[in-house]
Amino acid sequence: MSTVTSPPDTGTRSQRPDAPTGLGRRLGFVIVLVVAVLAWNAAGLQIDKLLRAPGRIIDLAGLLFLPPQWDSFGIAMSGMLESVQMAWLGTLIAAFLSLPLSLLAARNVSGRFGSEAVRQVLNGIRAFPELVLVILIVTVFGLGPVTGTIALGIHSIGTLGKLSSEAVESIDRGPLEAVDAVGGTWAQRMRWGVLPQAMPEIVAFWLYRFEINIRASAVLGVVGAGGIGAQLTETLRYKEFGRAGMAFIVVVGVTLMIDAISGRIRRRIIAGAAVDHDIGTDAKMALETDPVIAAEAGAIRDGEV
Amino acid sequence: MSAADASTTTPTRPTKPRPSPIRYVALGAVAVLTWLAASDLTGIGLVTRLQRTFADGIPERTAEIFDQIMSPDWGILGATVDPFLETLAMAVLGTLIGCSLALLVAFGASAITAGGRKRLAGTKSVMSVIRSVPDVMWALIFVSAVGIGTISGLLALILFNIGVVAKLLSETIDAVDTGPLEAADAAGAGVIARARSAVFPQVLPNYLAFSLYAFEINVRASAVLGLVGAGGIGELLMFFRNRFEYDRVSLVVVEIFVFVFLTELLSITLRRRLTE
Repeated sequence: MSTVTSPPDTGTRSQRPDAPTGLGRRLGFVIVLVVAVLAWNAAGLQIDKLLRAPGRIIDLAGLLFLPPQWDSFGIAMSGMLESVQMAWLGTLIAAFLSLPLSLLAARNVSGRFGSEAVRQVLNGIRAFPELVLVILIVTVFGLGPVTGTIALGIHSIGTLGKLSSEAVESIDRGPLEAVDAVGGTWAQRMRWGVLPQAMPEIVAFWLYRFEINIRASAVLGVVGAGGIGAQLTETLRYKEFGRAGMAFIVVVGVTLMIDAISGRIRRRIIAGAAVDHDIGTDAKMALETDPVIAAEAGAIRDGEV
Repeated sequence: MSAADASTTTPTRPTKPRPSPIRYVALGAVAVLTWLAASDLTGIGLVTRLQRTFADGIPERTAEIFDQIMSPDWGILGATVDPFLETLAMAVLGTLIGCSLALLVAFGASAITAGGRKRLAGTKSVMSVIRSVPDVMWALIFVSAVGIGTISGLLALILFNIGVVAKLLSETIDAVDTGPLEAADAAGAGVIARARSAVFPQVLPNYLAFSLYAFEINVRASAVLGLVGAGGIGELLMFFRNRFEYDRVSLVVVEIFVFVFLTELLSITLRRRLTE
């Protein structure tokens, strides 16, 4: 301490910056705590029931899975097949409808005013949960998978449109300028200036949405819109736990399988043919991480989705 | 010299690249799958089905329901306040608990912070199973185990949140700047200290954004969990629907829409602020 001295000419001792008080953090903590207590009361949760829950869940798990009731595997698979078909068609409907909307919602290729309007429309579509849509659509198309498919198709337009418009916004302007230079129309600008660049990512989003829609379609049967959800509801209601457990296993198994396949295709689409050859670490990295999840995470962080 | 070359040989356009055969295979596969799914689902083909639905005009009963939907019963507005508060409370608690747990799970699901291959593989496989089950299905199972009420809905939201937030966050952790990690390693930090001081500060803004997004999803989900008896406004929706009171169904649907839409706007605005 004696050998190190502060600069003599300034006359003031160099000071350490003040340690942060952490006031904001503490305040935030208190607010969260208060909100939690209020919510706890409003939800009317009974603590004794909550404490008994883990034991009951373990009991039910025993009833569901021990031993697995393989003879109802066929029924469960046929229900799940219907769910997958609904998810596939619903995703296709949403893909076709969301593509033009995403072009209109992208700030770089659409008007400033128009893009904001289309964005709000997409937000609005998304605000109707699938099951609520089913309750409305069922009055026209009746109970069954057609209703579920249409509900999935409509609800997916919202998120798909916004994610796709993100892909359109991240394109390179060069090709657009080239189309402008040769006097291309709006449609030609989109076809040659935008889509070739944005399409791989958009198709990857479609596949990702298919994965999500498989999960969504598995529960639409709860309100009578087809798929495995009806089996699950009924078997649980009539306490046929073996069958319910098999339905659960089939949902998880099929979903994981399709995730794996679709995930590989998505990565292949985005990383391009490079993945097929031995091309160093970049493409290998692309196979390791999930570019669609990364894009989604970015869009969520920036408040775009 | 190059000019002389050009004048003697006529310049040829480069040949147009042929589209990859994979494209045709993929398009064919999509077409076939679609055809199979559509004809199997509807039994008679989607187009025929649509034609039949609209051919003989809209049935009388449908028109009646449509009229009811178009004139929501505003008289029961007061009665929907409490169920809505319950839904909101479920969403808040689900987000707080779910996102806190998701933070821990996310650290276990990234190669950077897991501290061991076995732990990483274990966390990842548990997470993909959790993610493969939709929220309403969790609710169905919990209602069956614990009984009808908000606890089942809350448990479903918590599990669902862990799936969503942990996935997004672990991918973010995978991509952090490695500088602070090296510093922590050089100072001999353990798995927890490393995660706490080298990784957490980097991903905190993302974590908060994902949590806000989770809240938005929770509001949407908790509005329908009641359809399977897991508390909140959905129970009221199911009640009116089972009694075919479509003017009341319509009111609740409008309310859910406004509620969800406003939450989305709030969440999006906050998330934009967070990263600016």
